[in-house]
Amino acid sequence: MTSEEWQIVWFTAWVSALSTLVILPFGLALAWELARRDWPGKSIVETFVSLPLVMPPVATGLILLKLFGRRGTIGGFLHGRLNFDVIFTWRAVLLALSVMSLPLLVRSARVAFEEVNPRLEQIARTLGAGNWRVFFTITVPLAARGIIAGMILAFARALGEFGATIMVAGNIHGKTSTLSLTIFQDVQLGQDTNAFRLLGVSVVLAFAAVWFSEFLLRRKIKTR
Amino acid sequence: MKAFFCLLTLAFITLASVNIRAAEITVFAAASLTDSLKEIAAGYEKTSGDKITFNFGASSTLARQIDAGAPADIFFSADEAQMDGLAKKDLIDPATRKSRLGNMLVVVIATDSTLQINSASDLTNAAVKQIALADPKAVPAGVYAKAWLTQQQLWPAIEPKVVPTENVRGALAAVESGNVEAGVVYKTDAGISKKVKVAYEVSAKDAPDISYPMALVKESKQPDAAKDFLNYLDSQEAGDIFKKFGFILRD
Amino acid sequence: MSLLLKNISLPLEPFTLGVDVEIHSLVTAVFGPSGAGKTSLLDLIAGLRRAQSAFIQLDDRVLTDTTAGFFVPTHQRGIGYVPQDLALFPHLSVHQNLLYGCKSGGAANTLFSFDHVIQVLEIQPLISRGVSELSGGEKQRVALARALLASPRLLLLDEPLASLDAPLKAKIIPYLTRIRDEFQIPILCVTHDRLEALALADDIVLLVGGQVLQTGPVLEVFNRPASADVAKFVGVETIQPGTVTIVSDGLAKVSINNATLTTIAPETAACDVFVCIRGEEVILQRDAATGSSVRNHLPARIVALRPEGALVRVELDAGFPLFALVTRPACVELALREGESIIALIKTPAIHLVPR
Repeated sequence: MTSEEWQIVWFTAWVSALSTLVILPFGLALAWELARRDWPGKSIVETFVSLPLVMPPVATGLILLKLFGRRGTIGGFLHGRLNFDVIFTWRAVLLALSVMSLPLLVRSARVAFEEVNPRLEQIARTLGAGNWRVFFTITVPLAARGIIAGMILAFARALGEFGATIMVAGNIHGKTSTLSLTIFQDVQLGQDTNAFRLLGVSVVLAFAAVWFSEFLLRRKIKTR
Repeated sequence: MKAFFCLLTLAFITLASVNIRAAEITVFAAASLTDSLKEIAAGYEKTSGDKITFNFGASSTLARQIDAGAPADIFFSADEAQMDGLAKKDLIDPATRKSRLGNMLVVVIATDSTLQINSASDLTNAAVKQIALADPKAVPAGVYAKAWLTQQQLWPAIEPKVVPTENVRGALAAVESGNVEAGVVYKTDAGISKKVKVAYEVSAKDAPDISYPMALVKESKQPDAAKDFLNYLDSQEAGDIFKKFGFILRD
Repeated sequence: MSLLLKNISLPLEPFTLGVDVEIHSLVTAVFGPSGAGKTSLLDLIAGLRRAQSAFIQLDDRVLTDTTAGFFVPTHQRGIGYVPQDLALFPHLSVHQNLLYGCKSGGAANTLFSFDHVIQVLEIQPLISRGVSELSGGEKQRVALARALLASPRLLLLDEPLASLDAPLKAKIIPYLTRIRDEFQIPILCVTHDRLEALALADDIVLLVGGQVLQTGPVLEVFNRPASADVAKFVGVETIQPGTVTIVSDGLAKVSINNATLTTIAPETAACDVFVCIRGEEVILQRDAATGSSVRNHLPARIVALRPEGALVRVELDAGFPLFALVTRPACVELALREGESIIALIKTPAIHLVPR
């Protein structure tokens, strides 16, 4: 492995970790709303959240490209007012990874929240705890294992993201090259040995992440 | 009796749909040839009765695919290097190889852009934040662009700004979308797009020699029909169409 | 203390909860069969549920007023709640559970000090344990302590003894009476057990099918049910239709089929009545007694004998179905057998008439 390749592994790992942290507040809030509340149009929101899981990643990437490009609704505003570019920068990688891994976090967290007995939250309220205190001292600790398993799954998904990433970030050497993009390019250039080396690294990373996530879930079931 | 008639009908239908003389030829061609080759093929199909199927893409990708056994009859590359690669592996018929076309490099910007690019060194200005090129590692258009900029001794300054795309049309699309300030593509590509304008044309003496070779793929299942099409591509009719799109004829 | 529950209407499947009462006593039992809406009523008081229409006021503070669109959120109501499943926080230790509702600001803000509550409920040895290590009775006491330590102005208990076996019930009841006596905190206690109500409550609210059938001091409701329905739910064994034939000198003659009973004259001049007789009030005797103060001697035939723990429920045919509760030794001593004849004695004041 060359130092360049290690740089790519490192970049992939930290952008994936950052994307997991970035989606955490919104993902947990959304999961809690879906778990506890009912409102007209809820099923539409549920479907939208699941879309990146089911749609072809390049299709999701295309939507992001149109939205965040300099001529797009959001991208135009960012470029024009704040001189801030997303497409073809590392921020586009962060965007692609976040959008693609969000559904996994929301699904796991939602199930975890649904398994918390609402009676416990209610009694906490009678003891004088407001909504935020109930959420952080009762709901989240009891749902912790499921949430963490969801975060790990989201992280693993982000590690392997390709279709949306290549659409919005390209594969710019040193700036947006992720593990998957580099494997693809190595194959394009006929550098199969390099590709297989990086393939090995991604398998190890993904394996570790998924195994740990399953381990956490199994432990949760045993202690009940 | 009924069975006999059924069989007869089936035979007729089958025979009618198979024109014994017609062949289906697959051409792997550089992305920059998309529009010109489609028009040429449309005319050829009418007169010959053969069917031409295309696979357009970066010549480097196409060469990889042929090397991996993809069912191509003809390879029309945007540079000699890719053709040489296949020749070394004895995958093309050297007798049929011919360097058919040339091209020019241009710097394009979006039609509504106000950037001023009057020379190669203008690309190093801070106003030009990102430049789209077909991947300079292997795709001919990018390789040519890098060669030009290296010869101008500007490559180290420009390399950090490069956004590599999968093929030259990708670079064109990036400029069209407004997400990059400029791109280096073939003059023929700039010609077909209404959303970009040419800011600077690379002169022949500055640019590397751009050469588009075509050849028969040895593993072709339709060598005779393929050779017929290659001959047509070499003809004056085809040449006129190539010229219409802006290609230079090498002869 | 005063708790006003006015104009409460909450649709529940398959009936609607409709309550309109004022509660003033220290300990009130909300009594009724399972599924009568008792827990829903507690939820409404605690603000865990919203009703279609409700006006809830505790002392001088309005908590819910649907007509004004006014609603105090649960965490600001200061109402303690111990649900049937106790809802101890499994991820916190006993100590952390206890402290959860304690207000910051130290002892000055709390009504009941930590040490006092711990001592009254005797949970000192449990403090450092985890919730899962506690027995049923210990969990109950911890849940009660936790609610008290939040300095509530009203304590809601949902079936506090329901999940406990008889010996444990007997152990917990003193703690509840201690809470009542030591802390003087108003308690609203939901129960379907007559003995729990009798043991703990001053007043009772009888809730059946979402409707309040009767309120008042416990003994009054139990001994003088206002209707046959109430009589059924407070556990009167014999309820039979009868007719008042003669009224004189404050006494009445009531006939049920062919039998005649002497009872206290009813307040209303009703002719058609339900005759309510508790099983405990029926005495069985072998020979016709003379020189007894009892006015009602009914010859009866024993139809069935059903043992119920230390007692035996005897079903008799005295011209109408009559139930008696006697002890097992008595049953053995009198050699009661099905099909035999016996005399049933019922004291006049023990017969209660409900207008039909």
